[in-house]
Amino acid sequence: MKTAKISNPSIVLQLSGLTKKIGGKAIVDGLSFDIAKGEVVGLLGPNGAGKTTTMRMIVGLIGMTDGDVHICGQSIRTNFEQAIRHVGGIIENPEFYPYMTGYDNLKQYQRMTEGVTDARIEEVTKLVGMQDALDKRVKAYSLGMRQRLGIAQALLHEPKLLILDEPTNGLDPAGIKEMREYLKRIAEAEGIAILVSSHLLSEIELMCSRVIVIQEGKYVTARSLGETESPKQKIISISLQVGDAAHAQAVIEGMEGIEVVSVTASRMTIQIQHEKIPGLVAGLATQGVEIYRIEEVRETLEDEFMKLTGGNRIA
Amino acid sequence: MRNFSGLLVNEWLKLSKKKSFFVAYAILVVVFGILAFAFYKLSPDGLDSTLDFATGTIMLQAAGQLVPVLAVLAAAGSVTQEYRYGTIKFLLIRAQSRHKILASKYIISIVYALSLVVTAAVLAVVAGYIVYGGGSGDSTWTDFFSNMASLAVYSIVFVTMTFMVGILTKSNGAAIGIGIFSMMIGSLLVMLLSRYSITKYLLFANTDLSVYRSDAIPVEGMTLAFSIVILLVYVALFLSVSFAVFKKRDIA
Repeated sequence: MKTAKISNPSIVLQLSGLTKKIGGKAIVDGLSFDIAKGEVVGLLGPNGAGKTTTMRMIVGLIGMTDGDVHICGQSIRTNFEQAIRHVGGIIENPEFYPYMTGYDNLKQYQRMTEGVTDARIEEVTKLVGMQDALDKRVKAYSLGMRQRLGIAQALLHEPKLLILDEPTNGLDPAGIKEMREYLKRIAEAEGIAILVSSHLLSEIELMCSRVIVIQEGKYVTARSLGETESPKQKIISISLQVGDAAHAQAVIEGMEGIEVVSVTASRMTIQIQHEKIPGLVAGLATQGVEIYRIEEVRETLEDEFMKLTGGNRIA
Repeated sequence: MRNFSGLLVNEWLKLSKKKSFFVAYAILVVVFGILAFAFYKLSPDGLDSTLDFATGTIMLQAAGQLVPVLAVLAAAGSVTQEYRYGTIKFLLIRAQSRHKILASKYIISIVYALSLVVTAAVLAVVAGYIVYGGGSGDSTWTDFFSNMASLAVYSIVFVTMTFMVGILTKSNGAAIGIGIFSMMIGSLLVMLLSRYSITKYLLFANTDLSVYRSDAIPVEGMTLAFSIVILLVYVALFLSVSFAVFKKRDIA
């Protein structure tokens, strides 16, 4: 068992051995990870991996069977009110009292937390661009507007941690882009840590600095997004479209440090160091190989995700 | 403490911002209006004064029965509507314990029920005054206020029970159904079982305290103090179950 003591003050969220069992079956099984201030972390996993259960345990909506969650050093289990005051959340769709106006709904949450001023309500609604719709009843809101009001309520009490479960669920592409930009702006402007789950991997890729992959309730891996190796030495996959692949292959095999992965009539995939690409192009050109396209073959988060979780198996 | 008053304000607004909020009060106005009109036209025997009219109409067996029904309708929704709207998720991730949140909901359900009792009582007196303009009858203010108190106690007991059913079932319909059904069937059940002395421990045998003024005691040997103790035990039981379940429940 890991001890739950926190030594690093920049750790905002700490999960230690978090476990949820329902009827003897472990939905979440000994999950441990930390999130530091200002980090945007994605929680990934196939359907039924326990993402939502984990997030609900973090905010105390679901009790935990074992382990603990600390938020800014306070246990959600034993010190709920002290811990939860640092958290803002949207768990699945944001829901409001439909017969009240957006403003009345925000006032509800203002009254529940000490120290939220009227000026803060104004500030938050401006941040999400809702100042003009605030005196309409929520039942007249579009889903996008409700999402924005959801973010506004989550930010109201100046949390240090945002928990967002599928925040882009049900939004159209424009709404998703908008949402992503809000979150990025918020993370920068307010310096808060964000834990976000989504099944849209491309979304996570664009939004997060780190992803945590879980499967069947267990921690699988964590990975930083963005460049980690020095790009010069990095071996990358290149796809070439050429006039005569056989000829090109003959030329390439005469060069050092290039590995041919696959060849078809006019297309070939090779592995090459970043810094050797200009030499390759010059070599091919002088040998009279016609080059139509040079493209990098990128392994997307999706490919990696599939590899890690063995596809989207339904457990 | 400031925080808790905020919770109470929130719960009151959740009730009062609904369009249906005034309907309950409007129903009472209409019913007492109709009663006043009917009494004015028919002028039945034995009712000779404002107080006679007011004391008689707010009884559970008369227009008073509406009050607990309306109170139960609101109490059933207090927790279940949060589930229906999905707002329970936002409600429970604030720096407030679940006990405090539930306490605020229960208190406002009771306050609302009492507001209906007071409204009915005021309407009864006003309507009675319009019809009889004072007059002299058998009823006293003591009769009137004890009927009003019985109505309040009856309403509080059924509001508490409905509140618990709402938490257990998370269903507005089930809570309303069970709450109103037990009001209807309760007194019938007690009547059928009145020859067994065990019946006196039934909740429904004790809910109407006005029986102790009219000597229509449901089971032999019951006293006002006995009934009050039984009611307190039931209310304590309903509340313990409510708070224990609400505290532990996973919001999935």
